[in-house]
Amino acid sequence: MLHTVLVFAPLVGAIVAGLFGRAIGDRGAQIVTCGLMVLSALLATVGLFANVGEPARTVPLLEWIYVGSFQADWALRVDPLSSVMMFVVSFCSCWIHIYSVGYMAHDKSIPRFMAYLSLFTFFMLMLVTSDNLLQLFFGWEGVGLASYLLIGFWYTRPSACAAAIKAFIVNRVGDFGFVLGIAGVFLVFDTIQYDTIFRGAAGMANSTIVLFGTSWDTLDVLAFLLFIGAMGKSAQLGLHTWLPDAMEGPTPVSALIHAATMVTAGVFLVARMSPLFEYAPDALAFVTFIGASTALFAATIGLTQFDIKRVIAYSTCSQLGYMFFACGVGAYAAGIFHLYTHAFFKALLFLGAGSVIHAMSDEQDMRRMGGIWRLVPVTYAMMWIGTLALIGFPGFAGFFSKDAVLEAAWASHNAFAHYAFWLGVTAAVLTAFYSGRLIWMTFHGEPRADHETMHHVHESPPVMTIPLGVLAVGAIFAGWLGLGMLDAEGQFWAGSIFTGPDNHVMHDMHEVPFWVKAAPFVAMALGLGLSYVFYILAPDLPARVASAFRPLHSLFYNKWYFDELYDLVFVRGAKALGVAFWRGGDQGVIDRFGPDGVALSTLAAARRAVRIQTGYVYHYAFAMLIGVAALVTWYLVFVRG
Amino acid sequence: MGFDLTPVLPELFLLVAGLVLLVVGVLTREGEAARVVATLSVLALVIGSIIIAASDKSPQLALGGHYVADGFSAFLKILLFVGAALAILLAQGFLHDRRIARFEYSLLVLFSTLGMSMMVSANSFLALYMGLELSALPLYVLAAFDRDNLRSTEAGLKYFVLGALASGMLLYGCSLVYGFAGTLSFDVLADAFGAATAERPPALLPLGAVVGLVFIIAGLAFKLAAVPFHMWTPDVYEGSPTPVTAFLATASKVAAAGLAVRVLMHPFGEWTAQWQQVVVLISIASMLLGAFAAIGQANIKRLMAYSGIGHIGYALVGVAAGSERGVYAVLVYLAIYLVMTLGTFGCILLMRRQGQYVEQISDLAGLSRQRPMAAAALGVFMFSQAGIPPLAGFFGKLLVFLAAVEAGLTWLAVLGVLSSCVAAFYYLRIVKVMYFDEAAEPFDTAVHPAVTGITAITALATLFFIVWPGPLLRAAGAAAAALVR
Amino acid sequence: MIAGLAFYLFAGILIASAVMVVTSRNPVHGVLFLILAFFNAAALFLIAGAEFLAMILVIVYVGAVAVLFLFVVMMLDIDFARLREGFRRNAPLGLVIGGILLIELLLVAAAWRFAPEAAALRLQPVQPDGVTNTEALGRVLYTDYVYAFQIAGLILLVAMIGAIVLTLRDRPTAKRQDVAAQIARSGSVVTRRVPIGAGLAETGIARPPLPEAPKPKQVEHQGGGHH
Repeated sequence: MLHTVLVFAPLVGAIVAGLFGRAIGDRGAQIVTCGLMVLSALLATVGLFANVGEPARTVPLLEWIYVGSFQADWALRVDPLSSVMMFVVSFCSCWIHIYSVGYMAHDKSIPRFMAYLSLFTFFMLMLVTSDNLLQLFFGWEGVGLASYLLIGFWYTRPSACAAAIKAFIVNRVGDFGFVLGIAGVFLVFDTIQYDTIFRGAAGMANSTIVLFGTSWDTLDVLAFLLFIGAMGKSAQLGLHTWLPDAMEGPTPVSALIHAATMVTAGVFLVARMSPLFEYAPDALAFVTFIGASTALFAATIGLTQFDIKRVIAYSTCSQLGYMFFACGVGAYAAGIFHLYTHAFFKALLFLGAGSVIHAMSDEQDMRRMGGIWRLVPVTYAMMWIGTLALIGFPGFAGFFSKDAVLEAAWASHNAFAHYAFWLGVTAAVLTAFYSGRLIWMTFHGEPRADHETMHHVHESPPVMTIPLGVLAVGAIFAGWLGLGMLDAEGQFWAGSIFTGPDNHVMHDMHEVPFWVKAAPFVAMALGLGLSYVFYILAPDLPARVASAFRPLHSLFYNKWYFDELYDLVFVRGAKALGVAFWRGGDQGVIDRFGPDGVALSTLAAARRAVRIQTGYVYHYAFAMLIGVAALVTWYLVFVRG
Repeated sequence: MGFDLTPVLPELFLLVAGLVLLVVGVLTREGEAARVVATLSVLALVIGSIIIAASDKSPQLALGGHYVADGFSAFLKILLFVGAALAILLAQGFLHDRRIARFEYSLLVLFSTLGMSMMVSANSFLALYMGLELSALPLYVLAAFDRDNLRSTEAGLKYFVLGALASGMLLYGCSLVYGFAGTLSFDVLADAFGAATAERPPALLPLGAVVGLVFIIAGLAFKLAAVPFHMWTPDVYEGSPTPVTAFLATASKVAAAGLAVRVLMHPFGEWTAQWQQVVVLISIASMLLGAFAAIGQANIKRLMAYSGIGHIGYALVGVAAGSERGVYAVLVYLAIYLVMTLGTFGCILLMRRQGQYVEQISDLAGLSRQRPMAAAALGVFMFSQAGIPPLAGFFGKLLVFLAAVEAGLTWLAVLGVLSSCVAAFYYLRIVKVMYFDEAAEPFDTAVHPAVTGITAITALATLFFIVWPGPLLRAAGAAAAALVR
Repeated sequence: MIAGLAFYLFAGILIASAVMVVTSRNPVHGVLFLILAFFNAAALFLIAGAEFLAMILVIVYVGAVAVLFLFVVMMLDIDFARLREGFRRNAPLGLVIGGILLIELLLVAAAWRFAPEAAALRLQPVQPDGVTNTEALGRVLYTDYVYAFQIAGLILLVAMIGAIVLTLRDRPTAKRQDVAAQIARSGSVVTRRVPIGAGLAETGIARPPLPEAPKPKQVEHQGGGHH
């Protein structure tokens, strides 16, 4: 009951605000959606405490689809993993709803915005509480839809529409793998219910299936396909291009969807399917490789960007890489732990950035900021807290989780474990550097904005700063509070995260050498110090470095030319192919002989069919008699022969 | 053998209600009679549904074995009663606007529904025929209900004359079967035919009985409006008052389909191989004609006639499967068809210009701008009828085709898919006209709340069927299991 | 032997007159042939021992239905010659279809077989214990076939309702008795003392007072329009 209300309260809010927004007005929509989200967040908090260490149970809702052996019901799976996710989602969403009241105060379509936010929250909750892969897919696509709607919320801006479409299409690529994965799971296990899959996974280990004439390890193939889906949703290397562009949406959207919750769905998927992944070593190696590469790759881009939201977006991408390689090396708990702390400090950073943008009259370029820290002291403090948590300053949330992830990478025996460790440490340096750069450029130095803007700089109203404060508390203490998740015996998770019999990484990660434990701290100090040198002590240094390493800098600055490459290969290639087929194949051959011809003959057939209908009753009677004679004849000739 | 009337309770209740309402209608003041009787009729149908829902679902014979109440009949009866109640509700505003609001409308619908209910509960050819006639006679009158309208009277007369011919065929078939077996009871026939199949190879089964069956199928195909016994449909659908068309297209077809399934699966259940080809033929012809002939239509009611012919073709695909899965698929298909069709007619009844009901497809132009919700609802029904996922209509087709494939009729399923592609053309054309063509005149804004309500509810049911299909599927499954023992 | 001969005689006349019904030029002749067909059918029933059905056929079909047909045919001026044109145009195809059906039904009849238990299942028209066949029919009609019998009654009721729906019209000019209005009319019921033994010549005929004639409408002239 508690969980049903928790999950469906946002849906109710979305329906009320979406359909009756005009009737209840802006204020009404805000009250309804925020009120229901607060309810949901409270219940999620209660649920978290109630479910930690408890075995999984299922709350059935409705019967859904029964086709042959294919069965899927609407049900909520409640276990520690889903409870942690529900808590993260509801809690962040609740405060972001409240923040939006202030941030979107001047917008023209407030009910629509609130309805979309609530709808997103509902889909996300459905995703994390799903009890079978189809329901997971329902939530998966639902959040995709909500993300599309919210990125394109200001649909009159062409860039917003383009970004929304890009996000949708890039996600389709991932979903293609995901759907194949679901189909494959059904093919192999004859069910899509988690329980049954998990029970059967061990038995399927080392079995093979034949694809394209070669035999493959069954579980490796399935895990690989599912991971393709996760890559799309979580913006991993190759399918990451949509995430920075998604920053076209309103900032609360970036905070909720593209930092705290939706993009972590891929990590959740890997953790949820851990019983499958544990028996798929090759897929895990692939996960580790992709995760570690993304962590470094996104951080390098983050170094050079000037849009404040894009910097944070690349940072998100990079942090997601950390979570993935944590899962890849077998430390799913560390991955989820990082997901949980990351949600707080990244939402905080985004909302803080939103507050800055709000203060700077919608300016997002850091080159036109600076010197405002005295003017917006609360936002400034909050941004510092978020940054310290992100770069893993001792005592802050990120410190615990990032250390855990890196230690696990060192301790693991995965083929790419050490690759992940070293890339992770390097990325930590870069993280600290670009985070410091963000703070220095935004708040310190000479004011680079025009006089008009500087004159208007003001602290945000309490409805925006209070959510910042709450999330800041989370960014400081979430690490302490969540340490239980790293428990080596896995009592916290009570089996909801599975680790194979040979997987001792959660043990081993506590027994790594001292220098491994110290490495993240050193990396952080190095990065932060360097950024101080670059942007405060010697402000002309960045330009000099950039020109000294021109090729490298332009590579980073242009995001490794991924967009250009994709444009060249896929977009233009597909378009050229399409035009070729359209002109040559479709118009030339198919249309001439196919649709046009078929359509003509269809019309002719239709006309003939209509002409039978003379309107004379005796013609009709005659037709019936002919019909019965024909049927009897048919029977006598063909059936009795 | 006792004379237990408990299984017949729903019919008895409807009968008594109908007779009482007849008196009520005569004694009430003229201006109010139509409304009062309509309200009470709907109430009676609702109570009837509740009685059925609460009744014992195990097979029970009554009235000398001519009547059987089982899960199968219960499922169909609830569909029929709901369809009839909605047809009465849909009609009130229309009849009032056309100045033909008379209480007999509701009564005739009620008696016809009673006949249909007897049809699906028939356990002998005698009961089958009597139920069929009781259901048909009020329909003839209803078709001509707008008696000062030439088209309406013509529709009634055509329906009557051709209906009589079809009844003749049915009776001829029944007499052949009786001549062979010496009984009209389905149960005894099932035993006799089962024994005949057991001792002889199919090629040597009695010719007379099987030819009789062909005649019976022809008679039922007339009620179903399946090709080549469909000729009456476009004219009658177009001429009849629109709510009557809705009733003809839904309840009447559902009852006939239920009856056909019972006749084929119960007494002739052992003879699947004998009738399968005939049903397949009718099914293919219906699917193709429904798809092709509808393209040329300008009147939306005629279009619905062909669309209905096509739908029956798809439903017959499930019948042709001749298995429990097939029956299950047919039942689901019928239920979804009933909802979609009633909703579509609700939309048609929403279209008025200057107090006149318009029914040309070109009249739909501009509906999306002036009445966005009505256009959206009609759009949902059209997409659903075209079988586009995730709407309800898709699942009906899916189940039917799956059943056909399981029964080894893959090519029939393929043919069905192809013809539904052709059919999608004219459904989508309506959407195109609604959304992309410029309107000539504005639509009336005043609407009848009952019509709006029914349209909205059926549209939501069609749209969100995928979210909670469980109850319908389970009920249909139980009903199918009850028939195919 | 004689029964067999009689059967073929009546059956032959029946078929011949049925053909005549369809083909005769004069519609009145057609109906008369129909009556002949009914009589022969009744005779066939008699041979089969179903004297009750034979009588019913004569009374209902000949006595009522056929006579009604005759009335309709004679009262309505239907141009049968024109109807016949369509018949003639379609006759060849009709003959082909009819011929095919006939051949097929002959095939069926040639290969006819009864189910082994058919004879036992069939209801016997002639009861062994000397019960008349009217009584035998009555026995099953109200027991085994009460369901069908009741539905038949219901169908007739519906037919009646249908006939009323389709034909009954409220003509505004038609005078009808309205009891309620009569009673409610003011002064319609009065008690009067009537002198005993006085004839109508003395008392006169008492008439209720007529309602006042409606006053002519006052036309307003303030507008000062044209007159």
